[in-house]
Amino acid sequence: MTTFATVDSSAIDIPDLPDLTRMYRESGARLRAAMADNGVDALILLGNGNVVYATGASWPLLDAGLSHVERPVAIVLADDKHPHLFLPFREGASSESRIPADHLHPPLYLEFDEGVEHFARVVADLIPGDATVAVDELTGAMRRAGDRLFPGGAPSDAAPVVGAAKLVKTPDQIACIRRACRITEAAVVEVQKALAPGVRQIDLSAQFVRRAFELGATANMLEAIWQVMPVSKAEGTWTTHGDLALPLLTTERELARGDVLWTDVSITYNGFCSDFGRTWLVGDEPSPRQHAQFHQWRDILDAVLKVTKAGATCGDLARAAIAANGGRKPWLPHFYLGHGIGTNAAEMPMIGTDLGQEFDDNFVFPVGMVLVLEPVVWEDGTGGYRSEEIVVITQDGFVSLTDYPYAPYGA
Amino acid sequence: MALEILPDARALRSGRRERALAQMEAHDLDVLVLGRQANVRYLSGAPQLWVAGTRPFGPICAVVRSTGEIHLNSTWDEGIPDDIPHDHLYGLAWNPMTLIDVLRGIDGAATARRVGTDALTPSFAKLLPMAFPHAELVDGEIAMRAARRIKTPDEVAALHGALRVAEDSLATAVRELHAGTTEQTLTGVMLEAQAAGGVSTPATQDGAWVTSREHPWRRARSGGRIESGDLVAFAAGVLADGYVGEVGRTWPVGDVDASALYDRWNGLWDKLAAACTPGRRASGLLSAYEAAGEPLPPMPVAHGLGLGFDSPVVTPQLRATAAAEILDPGMVLAVTGYVWQDGVGAIFGREAVLVTTEGPEVLTSSPSWSHAGVGIG
Repeated sequence: MTTFATVDSSAIDIPDLPDLTRMYRESGARLRAAMADNGVDALILLGNGNVVYATGASWPLLDAGLSHVERPVAIVLADDKHPHLFLPFREGASSESRIPADHLHPPLYLEFDEGVEHFARVVADLIPGDATVAVDELTGAMRRAGDRLFPGGAPSDAAPVVGAAKLVKTPDQIACIRRACRITEAAVVEVQKALAPGVRQIDLSAQFVRRAFELGATANMLEAIWQVMPVSKAEGTWTTHGDLALPLLTTERELARGDVLWTDVSITYNGFCSDFGRTWLVGDEPSPRQHAQFHQWRDILDAVLKVTKAGATCGDLARAAIAANGGRKPWLPHFYLGHGIGTNAAEMPMIGTDLGQEFDDNFVFPVGMVLVLEPVVWEDGTGGYRSEEIVVITQDGFVSLTDYPYAPYGA
Repeated sequence: MALEILPDARALRSGRRERALAQMEAHDLDVLVLGRQANVRYLSGAPQLWVAGTRPFGPICAVVRSTGEIHLNSTWDEGIPDDIPHDHLYGLAWNPMTLIDVLRGIDGAATARRVGTDALTPSFAKLLPMAFPHAELVDGEIAMRAARRIKTPDEVAALHGALRVAEDSLATAVRELHAGTTEQTLTGVMLEAQAAGGVSTPATQDGAWVTSREHPWRRARSGGRIESGDLVAFAAGVLADGYVGEVGRTWPVGDVDASALYDRWNGLWDKLAAACTPGRRASGLLSAYEAAGEPLPPMPVAHGLGLGFDSPVVTPQLRATAAAEILDPGMVLAVTGYVWQDGVGAIFGREAVLVTTEGPEVLTSSPSWSHAGVGIG
C-alpha cells in the first residue's frame, strides 16, 4: 500500500474551504504514485467516483440508469500530470479551469460499438501499445473491441489502484467532506424540527433535499432514509440472516407518536460525500430503556474511539466494539462497524464484514484516512439506537468531522 | 409511491420478463448476470435503494433461461415479488467470493454454456468462470437493450406517472423563477416538489441553469444568480416506480426579446416531432436540425426512456448507429430541441414522445412561454 506524509501527524490542518487547484494537483500526484506502485502505465476510468477523484470534475450526478451513458470518462497517464477528460454536456463544467484545453475532449459513448470504434482511435493516440493498462469497467461494446482497445493484453482492474490513492485524504479533500457534512447537518436541523406525528416520511426527504441544495450541495447521493423501527426483531421485515433489515425505503407513510426512526442521508460537495445518521423519536421523550440504548451505543463508540489512531487495524476496532457490547457484534450482519468515505459514500476499508478476520487484522490505518463509524444496538421494545460518526485518523487518535447533537437521546 | 414498498404489478413484471427471456433465447444466453439497476428492476420487479451515479459491476440478479428462475441480491423481502422465493434471495456482501459461491449454487450454473453480463470489471471477469465453469462469458447488455427498447402498455402507463411528477416539479420551480434567486435554489425547489409528489429519487439533478448569451452552451456565470434578461433552462428528471420521466422548458426573466428565438424553437420542434414516425430512421432526428437550419446541440438530440436510458441515443457521435436504428411503435423517446442566439441565450426544451402506429404521440404537456405571455419577474 502506498503511504504518503501529506497530513501533519500531530495536528491536522484542515482548511475552512478547500483549495480546489491544490486538491486537483495532490489527488493527481497520489494517483500517479499508486500507478507506479502497481506497475500501471495508464488508467481508463468510467466510474463516476473514480473520474471525480482523478480529474476534480464534480457535477450533479444522474440516476444510475442514465449515468452509464451520459458519463465523463478519464484517461490518466503515469507520465502526464494532467488527466484527459471526456465530458458530456454540462457535467464537470467547473473543472475546466484546471485541466488544460488540449486534455478536454468531447463525450464518449462506450455503450455502443460505433462509440468504442472512436474510443479505440483515442486510446491508440494516447496510450502506447505496450503499456500496462488498468480499467474500472468494461461495457459490452468495449469487450467486443478488446483486442483493439488493449493490444498489450487484457487490462487489470483499476479499482485497487484508485483505492490505494483514495485511502489517505488530502487536507483539501477532508475540507470537502467536512463541508458536505456541515451542509447536511444544517439541512437536517430543520428536518428534525419538523418531525411530528402526521408528517410523512417523504415530507422529510422533500425538506432535506431543498435545504441541502440551497446550502450548496452539488448532488443528492442517496435516497433519504427515515426507517421506522419495528417493536421487535420478530415483528420486523424478514431477512436472510434473521437480524434487522436496513435500510428500508421511504414511503408516503405518516409518522406516529413514539415511532423510532433510524435516519441516513448523504450529499456531495465538490464531489466528496457526507454521511449522516441519527436515531430520532417522533413526538415523544425517550423512556429510560431507550436512554439506556443510547448510552450503550455511546459506550461502544467510546471504546472504539479509544483504540482509533494511526497504526490500529480494522480488527482492533471490531474487537473493541464487541468487547464493549458484551461479546456480541454491535453491527448488522450485512453491514459493518465502519467504512471509509470519499468520492463514494462507502469506500475501503469496511470493518467487520465477510472480507474476514485476516482482512480486518491486516488493514492498518494510515494518518489521514477518513472513517464512518456506525455501531448499532438493539433491544426489543426500544427501537434500538444507531448513529454515524465521521473521524479523520491522526497519529495519536482522531479528529471528529461530525457535529450534530443526539437529541432527544442522551443527556 | 404509496404507504408501503410493493413489487411492480404482476402484469408489468410478466410483460417485461417475457421480452427479456425471448431476447435471452435470441442471443443464445443460458444465464444472465445483471448488475445495472434498470436491468435488475426489469427482470425482478423489485424496487431497490437509489444511489446517485454509476456503480461498479456486481452480480445483483441472476436469471436462468431454462427455468425462468430469478435470484436476487437482497437481504430482506420487502418489495420482493412472491415469485422470487426466500431461498432465491442472497444478502449484501462485501467479499466477491461470497457472491461467487451464491452463483455457483444456482440450479443451471454448472451446465450453462453461455452467460451474459450487462457490464464487467476485470476482477469479475476472472472470478465468474468459477461459478460457471463450462460457460463462455459474453455481453448480455445487448440482449437487455433489445428487450427494453419497446415498451409494453403497462410500461407506458408507468412512464406517464413518472412524467406527471416531473412536469409538476418543473411547474413548481418555474413559479419560483425571479431575478435574484439562484440556479441552486430553483433546483432545490424542483427536487422538493418531486419528493412532495411522492418521488425522492431524481433521474437528473441539474434542475435549472442560466443560458449563456455569449456561448452556445457554457454556463452563463459562476454563482448561478438569476438576472433580469436571462433565459433560464429547466430540466426535470425523476425516477418514479423505476421509470425515468424527463421534461425541459426555458423561461425568460424580465424583459427579454426572445420571441424570434422561440419561433425558431417551434419550427425545429415541428420537424423533430415529425421525425418520430414509425419506420423512419433515428438519424431523422439529426436531419431535423439540419432541415430547420439549426446547429446540432451539445447534448444528444434524443434518447430512449424507460428504466433508465434506452436505445437509441441520437447524437452526431453515433451517426451510423442512429442511421441503422429504425423507430418502431412502442419506443418512447426524450427528444431535445435546442436553439441559441448570440446576445440572447438559448432555448432548451425536452419532450417525451411515444412512437405509435398512428405516428408520434407527445406525452408531455408542460406550458411553454408564448408571445401572448410575458416574461417572468
